[in-house]
Amino acid sequence: MDTLFTLATLAAAIRLAIPVAMAALGEVLTERSGVLNLGLEGTMLFGALAGYLGTVATGTPWLGLGSGLAAGAACGLVLALFMVVVRADQIVTGLAFTLFAVSATTYLFELNYTIGEPPPRIPSLDMIELVVIVLVALGAVWFLLARTSVGLVLSAAGDAPGAVDAMGYRVARVRSAATVAGCALGGLAGAMLVCGPLGLFVQNVTAGRGWVALALVVFARWRPGYAVAGALLFGLCDAAQLRLQGTATAIPYEIFLALPYLVTLVALMVRARRTGTPAALAVPFVRGRS
Amino acid sequence: MTITEQPTPDRPVDRLLSGAAERPGLARIAVPALAVLGALVIGGVLMGIEGVAPLSAYGEVVRGVFGRTRGLIDTAIIATPLVLIGLGITIAYRARVFTIGAEGQYIAGALAGTALATAGPLAGLPGPVLLIAGLVVAVLAGSGLAGLTAWLQSRFGASVVITSLLLNYVAAAALAWAVRVGIRDPGSFTPQSRDVGAAALPGTPLHLGFLVALVAVPVVAIVLRRTRFGLRVDVLGANPEVLAVTEVRPAITRMIVLLVAGGFAGLAGFVEVAGVTGRMTPAFATGYGFTAIIVALLGGLRPLGVLIAALVLAGITVGFDEAERAFVIPSATVGVIQALIVVFFVAGDALSRRER
Amino acid sequence: MTEAAVLTGIRRRFGAGHPALDGVDLELATGEVHALLGENGAGKTTLMRILAGLDRPDDGEVVVAGEPVTAFTPRAQRARGVAMVQQHFTLVPTLTAGENLALAGPRGRLRPGARQLQRRVDELAGRFGLPVRADAPVAELSVGEQQRLEILRALDADARLLILDEPTAVLVDDEAQALLDVCRELAADGRAVVIITHRLGEVFAGCDRVTVLRRGAVVCAGEPVADHDRASLAALMVGTTNGAGAPARRTQPDGPVRLRVTGAALRRLQPLDLEVGAGEVLGVAGVDGNGQAELEALLAGSAAPERGTVTVDGAPLPVGRPRERIARRIAYVPSDRYRHALARPLSLADNLELGRGATWRPGKARREQAAAPALDAWDVRATGPGTPAAALSGGNAQKLVLARELAGNPLLVVAAQPTRGLDPEAARIITRRILDAAAAGAAVVWFGAELDELFAIADRLVVLAGGRATEPFTPPYDRHAVGIAMAGGHDS
Repeated sequence: MDTLFTLATLAAAIRLAIPVAMAALGEVLTERSGVLNLGLEGTMLFGALAGYLGTVATGTPWLGLGSGLAAGAACGLVLALFMVVVRADQIVTGLAFTLFAVSATTYLFELNYTIGEPPPRIPSLDMIELVVIVLVALGAVWFLLARTSVGLVLSAAGDAPGAVDAMGYRVARVRSAATVAGCALGGLAGAMLVCGPLGLFVQNVTAGRGWVALALVVFARWRPGYAVAGALLFGLCDAAQLRLQGTATAIPYEIFLALPYLVTLVALMVRARRTGTPAALAVPFVRGRS
Repeated sequence: MTITEQPTPDRPVDRLLSGAAERPGLARIAVPALAVLGALVIGGVLMGIEGVAPLSAYGEVVRGVFGRTRGLIDTAIIATPLVLIGLGITIAYRARVFTIGAEGQYIAGALAGTALATAGPLAGLPGPVLLIAGLVVAVLAGSGLAGLTAWLQSRFGASVVITSLLLNYVAAAALAWAVRVGIRDPGSFTPQSRDVGAAALPGTPLHLGFLVALVAVPVVAIVLRRTRFGLRVDVLGANPEVLAVTEVRPAITRMIVLLVAGGFAGLAGFVEVAGVTGRMTPAFATGYGFTAIIVALLGGLRPLGVLIAALVLAGITVGFDEAERAFVIPSATVGVIQALIVVFFVAGDALSRRER
Repeated sequence: MTEAAVLTGIRRRFGAGHPALDGVDLELATGEVHALLGENGAGKTTLMRILAGLDRPDDGEVVVAGEPVTAFTPRAQRARGVAMVQQHFTLVPTLTAGENLALAGPRGRLRPGARQLQRRVDELAGRFGLPVRADAPVAELSVGEQQRLEILRALDADARLLILDEPTAVLVDDEAQALLDVCRELAADGRAVVIITHRLGEVFAGCDRVTVLRRGAVVCAGEPVADHDRASLAALMVGTTNGAGAPARRTQPDGPVRLRVTGAALRRLQPLDLEVGAGEVLGVAGVDGNGQAELEALLAGSAAPERGTVTVDGAPLPVGRPRERIARRIAYVPSDRYRHALARPLSLADNLELGRGATWRPGKARREQAAAPALDAWDVRATGPGTPAAALSGGNAQKLVLARELAGNPLLVVAAQPTRGLDPEAARIITRRILDAAAAGAAVVWFGAELDELFAIADRLVVLAGGRATEPFTPPYDRHAVGIAMAGGHDS
């Protein structure tokens, strides 16, 4: 058991948690405004690719992060167009986007690099720098939601879009902005994955972290602070199961694989209203039909 | 005032598109067809950029599917789970119950069936008995997982989308444990279950499961079109309050719909084991659960459409596999084309429904 | 006293049928509380929504504080100082009172802290005498508090013309009186306050002048309340002459008691006793919000009574089991047909089947063929039995609902506002058919808004006011008395 809880495990946990935490922060913004973005995984992938290509092109990982941010915002614009303006079904759109992203990023990546010739490793950022970025983002998202008028409107749009509309705000605009911002952070998360200790891009590099982030948002009850803390917890479970895989114990490491999701499910076994679910989540807003 | 008035079009784009909405039958065929066509065109362009002549490449794709028996067989094999899962999703989505847990239910069904057939006390029974029993247990396992989603929704108001997503991960963890420990084949070095042996579906390489899928299509079609249950599914999707006032409590129909969807996914899981892989390995889950959602949507949420969409997607995969031997096509191309089909479909479908 | 707002020649029409507003003039002065009185459908809410910018007039002119209004949007009107507190609140339930105020009127980019918000609420509450708890989420506030918050929100935005739509409908007596007192003070402060109401008690207790609307026209224009008494206002509200052109009176029914309601209570509906015999038409009159929705739910089997019983032919009415209700031949025509009676995307034939088909349905072609005669017999005009129900006009949609519900000789017909929103032709057909069902032996409960209509078809009439039912009126109906009963509200 003491092989489990070492500093190395903690470090691994933090490393695993970073991209997930960042993506979850973005998704908190998006979902609090009432938009369920199942395209988060896809956005992270595009961000990862952009981060990689950006770093290769410019030579510094910081600009790679910037590219990831920009790529994420672009994804957000497309997603917002479909989900908020066209009012296509959010679930279908998000899923379609993610499926598209997996193929598209692989294709675009392979365009640049032929098989057999290893793609260059990029200069990467230290973990501590990434942690700082996450904490800064946490501070920014928390501040926005808790302390600014914009954040107030954003949360209200997710809970009672009819009331927000009656007060003269344009719900579609608020939600679009939240989606773009959330996806920007998602893209940044993908870039952080690639420009961090990993240092390279492979097909489907995010490996489902975006989906994990979605679950994490529910687990965190749509609160940014809990999202980061929860990411660390998820990371610990992840690190623990990796650790256990290597050692011979009777404890099935798969429990740690399932644990975060089981806990989230249990957490949902409270009346949805008390869990803080935005009341209008995934419901497109149409004036006159509330 | 409690009269609900219908919203009036407020932009020129809406008026333009309301024409499409008024011809739902046309749109239902046109949108997926155009999506496929559009994606193939873009795919052709991409291949052209790579220096591959698109028409010859597509010719090879078609030849890969239709020109050799193995091509048709492989298409059918890939299409089978897509059709089965897709049928279940069709029923659920028509009721506007948007479950994305098919992947987990697929795994659960496969696990349950394999466990029954290869491990545990019943493993000594004759093959066909185990096969049937395995299929039954698979359906129950898939339904059970979906039923959990339904229960969480009706009891706690938890979103079906979120809980079904979470349960996928739980099922994946169960799979990892099962092949490593639970139903592991003691004689193998790598984690995997025992082979189902005599409990396999007859027919190689094209297994009986394809027939099951084919038969399921008209069965589901009849249920949806000719039974009271099918009507209730449509009413639930249209307006749960009307269902509550005229037919039955919406929660009941919702539960049944989820159980059915889960059952189909679970069935598909064990059919895949008993017909194709023979045993369960850590890599068992290949995303059929998610692809089937796309198949169901492309098929316009109609059973025959599901069959056609499954065959088309499977055919593209098989054909490109073959074509990649003859031409130097980046392996990601087929993925991009399929993804583009999805994107174009979603866009076209949303735009054509703008008025509804 | 100056003019706060002047409306001239306002016309507004929704679809075919009688216009909601037919050339209405209204003059509102500052420093007074003005009552806008009328029955359901008189046009009061429509008129005030126009003034508040929530709707635009088809014709006519609106002048606020001397300036003509060109942009009819809530934002523009709020900027002019016009604010309306509607019957359905537009507060965000998960936010506190203070946060709702901050949302409506943000002061700067930063969100004020909890204490600052509390101060803002308390200050406003104290100034205007409208106490509201500042720290609890709105969902936990009482209805009275929520309403006070809505008013505070309007006043926070410095509303000079405040419109309250049926404000006392959701309040208990003490709260209602307190609200009227606050309105007085607001008026004395130089504002103009308009109270939309149908309750005479309020008019006399709290208002200076009164305007009465009937069927979209002004029948009493801004006269001082002191010049009237209850009788005269009631008469103005409901009119003095019974309308012509209604279906002929039928003979007195004398069937056995079919529907028996004993001491049934539900939410706003106080314990109620009712008996309706076979072949009898019982009219239920009253302004919306006095228990009609609850009674409708009880009779349709959508909700169980909190107390008391509802029985049909001796057996309890099935609750939450629509198929059983239908098997017992109880027909239900809901007041909100698109919400509860028809599935819009489904075809006409499918809608006809709801609640009534067997487990196995015939093929589509056969179904549509089978539906055609019923659609023909009811003159439901559409391209064919396969058209989606969404394509039907209001009148045809209602005919479809009735075609379904009245098939098979029902024993009890619960018809809630069956002719609402229909053109006269369609209304006549529907009325005729329901009366036919009564003649064939059904007990009919008809919730109505138009007194003319009710007087013509009902064998007996009860009025719901304040959640209580009056003793049944019998023909010949005393319009005067019925009007007073409808306007009774919660005072004796």
